[in-house]
Amino acid sequence: MLRKFNYLSPTTEEELLKFLAKHMGKAKLLAGGTNLFVDMRSDLLKPEYVIDIKKVPGVKEIKFLSRVGLSIGPGVTCNELIECKAVEEKYPLLIAAAKELASYQIRNRATVAGNICYASPAADMAPALLILGAKVKIASIAGEDIIPLKDFFKGVKKTLLQPEEFVKALIIPEDYSFMKALYKKSKRVKGHDLSIVSVAMGRIKGFYRIAIGSCGPTPVLLEEIPVTVELKEIISKALKAISPIDDLRGSADYRRNMVEVYIKRIHQELGGKN
Amino acid sequence: MKKIKVKVNGKEYVKDIPEYKTLLDFLREDLFLTGTKRGCGAGECGACTVILNGRAVNSCLVLAVECDGAEIKTIEGEGENGKLSPLQEAFQHHHAVQCGFCTPGMVMSARSLLDRVPHPTEEEIKEAIEGNFCRCTGYKQIVEAIIDASRGGS
Ligand SMILES: Cc1cc2nc3c(=O)[nH]c(=O)nc-3n(C[C@H](O)[C@H](O)[C@H](O)COP(=O)(O)OP(=O)(O)OC[C@H]3O[C@@H](n4cnc5c(N)ncnc54)[C@H](O)[C@@H]3O)c2cc1C
Ligand code: FES
Ligand code: FES
Repeated sequence: MLRKFNYLSPTTEEELLKFLAKHMGKAKLLAGGTNLFVDMRSDLLKPEYVIDIKKVPGVKEIKFLSRVGLSIGPGVTCNELIECKAVEEKYPLLIAAAKELASYQIRNRATVAGNICYASPAADMAPALLILGAKVKIASIAGEDIIPLKDFFKGVKKTLLQPEEFVKALIIPEDYSFMKALYKKSKRVKGHDLSIVSVAMGRIKGFYRIAIGSCGPTPVLLEEIPVTVELKEIISKALKAISPIDDLRGSADYRRNMVEVYIKRIHQELGGKN
Repeated sequence: MKKIKVKVNGKEYVKDIPEYKTLLDFLREDLFLTGTKRGCGAGECGACTVILNGRAVNSCLVLAVECDGAEIKTIEGEGENGKLSPLQEAFQHHHAVQCGFCTPGMVMSARSLLDRVPHPTEEEIKEAIEGNFCRCTGYKQIVEAIIDASRGGS
């Protein structure tokens, strides 16, 4: 049983923004609830208001516009992303990542935006979105802003989102569409676990793009690396960028080793030479 | 309290419910549909799986108020006129049920798979039930039951 709270279900964006401004600090947004309700059940969070975003028109929209890129609304679930033809064609890496997130039932509720907003270092959508150059469209009663996803994460479960703001969309620019890329995740049990280590790595226009999850307070995006750089050097750059810890899922050493293994494997699968 | 209207297993209900009530508790305590089970209450075990607007979900992580206007199918809606469905019969035939606690959720996950993919591969079956824990059978019989049911065109 959950504790008492007030459920608000705005039917326009304006109303949503007003509720957020009015109940600042006392409210939590509800998308799929797969993080929120777990935290409320364990009393980690005790919001007075729960603001459901799902009745706001347009939140379920996922569309591709040339020159703008792919826009993913905050109500789009992982399974809706997986089923989207434009994503399958242009950003198959997103599908590979979404398929690694939780179980089928959870993916029917869990949103892509919620995964990012919760800002777990293990968020499965993060490494893929980072190497695809994703941006976050933020809205509040004061207006809108677009910032790169790599600047959005501020720490374990911390983002630069203010209490009166919400994520209106994730935007994946066209730049990295059709990138050859892979996502690898190690975990204890399939379908039931967060990652111990995860690596997304792609190759495009003479560069490698790499992002790593579960190896520091936030998912990390590396600087682009020219494909001419030796594999040894790529691995050394990756290991310098991360700061893994020992925890119940794995040790820091194991994590460093797995980062190396995954980069080697993906490097090879992307046709790289030593 | 909020008034909600839902259609569960084809029957319409209008009820006043507290906002903090989960769909799982609503089904069990207000509609007395106790076939849907609570294991973990936190999205891990799948015992609470129901089909909400055509999609399998963990009812312990959904609020009843979120379901206003929705159509829901639970294990009680699987058979017809007091008879087991071919899918349920396949579970029985293959001994895919031991203590039975996971079975309603398992059958709902299988139902939702067969509605999407009438003839799934073994891999697809395993993916569809990866969010359903069974502590008795070892899963093999469950997978066999679902394969069999798909061949029988259930
Ligand atoms: C059993 C189980 C297994 C899981 N396995 C995985 C896994 O393997 N990998 C993984 O990455 N995650 C996993 N998760 C975590 C979770 O499912 C994901 O993080 C999911 O994507 C969260 O999305 P949601 O829509 O459910 O978010 P919610 O729970 O609705 O929201 C999450 C947080 O973000 C805020 N928020 C939501 N939307 C917005 C918005 N548009 N703007 C601003 N703030 C917002 C909410 O207020 C809340 O604080 C698992 C969860 C469970 C219960
Ligand atoms: S009771 Fe809902 S998943 Fe365990
Ligand atoms: S039959 Fe006992 S948990 Fe599955």
